[in-house]
Amino acid sequence: MGRLYGYMKWKLVGLGVLIVTGGLAAAEVHPEKIAWFGTWKGGLAEAQRTGKPILLVSAAPQCHNVPGVW
Amino acid sequence: MDRSFLADKDVIAASKKFVCIRLATYEDARENEVLKGVFAPGGVLQNTVFSLMSPDGRTSLVRAGRSPAWAFGGQVGRGIHQQPPEVIRKMAQTMEAIALAYPGKDQPVGRVPLPYLADLRLALNVAAADRLPLVAVFGNAAQRKQMEQQLEPLAWSDEFLGRALYVPVNQPEDFKAITGLKSQAAYVVIQPDIFGLKGRVIQEISFKVTAAQLKHSLAEALGRHQPSTLTYEQHRRQGAAAGQRWESKTPNTDGIGRSRFGPGLRR
Repeated sequence: MGRLYGYMKWKLVGLGVLIVTGGLAAAEVHPEKIAWFGTWKGGLAEAQRTGKPILLVSAAPQCHNVPGVW
Repeated sequence: MDRSFLADKDVIAASKKFVCIRLATYEDARENEVLKGVFAPGGVLQNTVFSLMSPDGRTSLVRAGRSPAWAFGGQVGRGIHQQPPEVIRKMAQTMEAIALAYPGKDQPVGRVPLPYLADLRLALNVAAADRLPLVAVFGNAAQRKQMEQQLEPLAWSDEFLGRALYVPVNQPEDFKAITGLKSQAAYVVIQPDIFGLKGRVIQEISFKVTAAQLKHSLAEALGRHQPSTLTYEQHRRQGAAAGQRWESKTPNTDGIGRSRFGPGLRR
């Protein structure tokens, strides 16, 4: 019984390590980012629907007219 | 845009209690007017705008400015992407305090919609700037509605949150800058080119797939996206040398009147 308990314990520890390291690996591959509404109309409608406050930023996606950069 | 504030883990955690809106300045005349109502020194719209606002979008709850540094301190200016930890912490704490004051409705009616960009031309550019894949929800109105119902819960799930940008497309002609499209209706996962002026299809996922199939196929397709590895300066130099040029839909008025109001001065 004791050996079975010990075996189960190490299985659970191993599973825990796998879950934690798997989670860390996922976080490293896909670091958390903010999900942005891309239009005022869509974002404002969602703020009014949920009653949540608004985090607003705006920028032109170009630098000296070169696109693809904030 | 100063990325240091918006990439901070505490700010990102607090942002989940907000509706986050990021507009492309000078791309929509009506949105320009909204932005001018938030921050426009001398009545002139600047390239960048930042604020935290009430849910009705009418009241700034912090001092609006060109960046979070105008409200919370820190360095201001072009090309700054690093701030002292204490000012970033101040932003996260302020957001948590605002979220307490505006906790939102207990049970909002309806679904969380996809965080769409306005159109494919702009979405390609923004996706390139974010170094993320783009998902076009492509089909007629009924097909898009069906696809949105499947995609919305995935897009807001922990697994997919912030991993792609989304845009609705209703006609094949809109894909003229994209190579490889075959379907007439599909979730189209797109790899933007480095400068966001063109793109290629990574994968088309049938609009008829089940939710489980969509989750599997989407994860696979997003995983095949290859982000640019250029630095800011390399990007700008290579883009200029290659004649990659963006014309905003409305005139760029950045800098006009800027000298009149700095972050240290009250408007």
